[in-house]
Amino acid sequence: MFDLAGLAQGFGIAFTSVNLLWAFIGALLGTAVGVLPGLGPAATIALLLPVSMKMGSPVTAIILMSGIFYGAMYGGSTTSILLNIPGEAASVVTCMDGHQMARKGRAGAALGIAAIGSFVAGTVGVIGLSAVAPPLASFALRFGPPEYFSLTVVGLLLATYLAGDQPLRGFIMAVLGLILGCIGLDPLSGAVRFAFGVPDLMSNLDFVTLAMGLFGVGEILVSLEEGSAASILTTTVKNVFPTLADLARSGWAMVRGSVIGFFVGILPGGGAVLSSLVSYAVEKRVSKHPEEFGQGAIEGVAGPEAANNSAASASFIPLLTLGIPGNASTAMIFAALLIHGVTPGPFLIKEHPDVFWGVVASMYIGNVMLLVLNLPLVGMWAKLLKVPYAFLAPMIMVLTLVGVFSVGNSVFDIWVMLALGVLGYLARKLAFDLGPLLLAFVLGPIMERSLRQSLLMSGGRPGIFLARPISATLLAAAALFLAFGAWSGRRRRRQAAPA
Amino acid sequence: MRRLVWRLGAVVAALAAAGAVAAAEFPDKPVQLIVPYGAGGSTDLLARAVAQVAPRYFSQPLVVVNKPGGGAIPGRLDVTRAKADGYTLLFGYGSGEDLVVPHQRQIPYDVFKDFETVARISIHSIVIAVPAESPYKSLADLAKAGKEKGSLTAAVSTKGAAVDITFLLFGKAAGIKVVTIPGSGGADAVTRLIGGHADFGGGHPSEVIPHIKAGRLRALGVALEKRDGTLPNVPTCKEQGYDVVTAGSVKGIAAPKGTPREVVAALESRFQKIAADPEFHRIMADLSQPVDFMTAAQYRPWLEAASAQYAGLIKTLGVETK
Repeated sequence: MFDLAGLAQGFGIAFTSVNLLWAFIGALLGTAVGVLPGLGPAATIALLLPVSMKMGSPVTAIILMSGIFYGAMYGGSTTSILLNIPGEAASVVTCMDGHQMARKGRAGAALGIAAIGSFVAGTVGVIGLSAVAPPLASFALRFGPPEYFSLTVVGLLLATYLAGDQPLRGFIMAVLGLILGCIGLDPLSGAVRFAFGVPDLMSNLDFVTLAMGLFGVGEILVSLEEGSAASILTTTVKNVFPTLADLARSGWAMVRGSVIGFFVGILPGGGAVLSSLVSYAVEKRVSKHPEEFGQGAIEGVAGPEAANNSAASASFIPLLTLGIPGNASTAMIFAALLIHGVTPGPFLIKEHPDVFWGVVASMYIGNVMLLVLNLPLVGMWAKLLKVPYAFLAPMIMVLTLVGVFSVGNSVFDIWVMLALGVLGYLARKLAFDLGPLLLAFVLGPIMERSLRQSLLMSGGRPGIFLARPISATLLAAAALFLAFGAWSGRRRRRQAAPA
Repeated sequence: MRRLVWRLGAVVAALAAAGAVAAAEFPDKPVQLIVPYGAGGSTDLLARAVAQVAPRYFSQPLVVVNKPGGGAIPGRLDVTRAKADGYTLLFGYGSGEDLVVPHQRQIPYDVFKDFETVARISIHSIVIAVPAESPYKSLADLAKAGKEKGSLTAAVSTKGAAVDITFLLFGKAAGIKVVTIPGSGGADAVTRLIGGHADFGGGHPSEVIPHIKAGRLRALGVALEKRDGTLPNVPTCKEQGYDVVTAGSVKGIAAPKGTPREVVAALESRFQKIAADPEFHRIMADLSQPVDFMTAAQYRPWLEAASAQYAGLIKTLGVETK
């Protein structure tokens, strides 16, 4: 299945000086875009679209653009870990444990493991892309509304794992996430819900705005109250690089994250954000120390950071083999290909092998470049924490404000972020975990839409979920999860009772 | 970190400036094209194609600014509130939000009273398509299947939008029940159709043509008065005996009300030249979008007629949203 001749041809194209240069520029720009909150890879690629029209070859243009896309997945973790502001939507979960590690003086280890995890997963994703792209892509097409619904049922069950030993609090946060996800246009009828006549509320809340408010602004409020004594700065930054013990702990997390990211990334509409959330939930579930999650568990950084990178690589599969862009960044790359007269789809590999294999080969090279680029930066970033908090806090505030504004050019979003900051503050004070809220916020609209679409397809008969094999399998898995959860919960209570 | 910000800013600015050359008068600063949709969508790509060719006709660059979200209403509202000096333009005037939505719910401005029409650039017609492996080869096959099965499902982007209305209109013309299944946008609807999760579907040519070329979809009809320039081999619905003609989604340009007449005229004549530019035609062909220019004097009454037609259709088909 591995087309070695094609790959060799691709490396021949990718190793020309022009393409190496643009792969490097893409990786560098991507890292920068990932680090900066707000401005995401899709907007950056859009800015560069006119430039790409001037480039002679489509291969070079796509090498640059894909570099920005997966480069952003590397950079996104940086501000999540250091400042508790997600630099990029797919790095939101990294705030939860990455920032706690930073507070304990382990920023270097967190940044290092994020870079290594990204490298491992990026490479796994590209290997998958070069080996099994076409058959997997057709499989992903069989995911219609009923399959998505069953998938979200499994996903929401994972939200309960995120809550750990506080199921009720987790449940409350998940419901809150579902409610926040309902604001705006009804996904099917287009009716406006919960907008109270405010035009700006007629769209759904933006995920980045939500996360920057809950984490970034919430963090600043908490720190203000606790005083700088509690802030990260009092701890000295030691162990810039992860230790062998760290690597041993996070090795399997990276592997699991890579696999999860790969499969979620292939699905149209899946993608990096969802895969990182799912990976986090899985890591918490399989960990022998679930109580460490939220307190700085390194697996909680390694898994999701691996997942978002491998999802980024995997999302090239539906794009290049079917011509279906699964997210905003691949949609921009899709547009760039069209502008260069290359139609992405099943004939792309045959008609333009140079484009397909050239881009794939550049992704192998780009991932190495990113690792080399990011590891030395770890020490530099970690030093940022030595800046006194009195200066750092206003800087974080400015970054979040500019970042949120840059997402939709809207002042209203800034107010939304500040209001959510208060919510984030309250959650922290009352020890409510934000994980279930995030997962429910992402899954809720997909779940509602696919449920209603499925019932429209079947004329209102719920049997459609069991009649379709993929959907039925997923629902059976969900039922097993529940049964196992109930069984192990009862066993734990029984063991606890005599003691 | 701050240095990095500056460097990134410098790189982006340098890249944006490349290509702008001088020619004097009206615009003495960059003109903003407000696109109330996300980057990468068909309207955004069209705006970027215009901005790409613009340096030959404008002394200042045209800057594409995306203001997505809010059902594309807030972006339009921003234009109505902008200074009426010709430096802030709405790109995509004539889309569903201008022709369809005002008949369905309250919007915070008046589509006709709060804008000056500048020009029309393109029409995004509506194509009815089926998956390539589907047995239906014509609209008549589709209508026959609908009668046999009792009803047909159709994948559409959003409820009550132009594509939805057009498919329901086909159902009415063919005398069959069509259940439209909305989702999260045009690309999502086409993906569901390719996956075989609906009997038929479709959308604008730019959305379906790549898949038609790739052999995944088959176009059965175009809901226009005449054939679409990007799909010359696909007959109209009317040719096949179904009276399904809608304006589709129209891509024009508007300025805030009160923009001086000579500024509007200066803009109009430059956009006319862009619409005649060979490079613009080449880019548009690659994007599978037709160039269909109209001056302000032609476009305004055309828009009003299209809006009235949609109002009538919404009433007869009962696709009011609340």
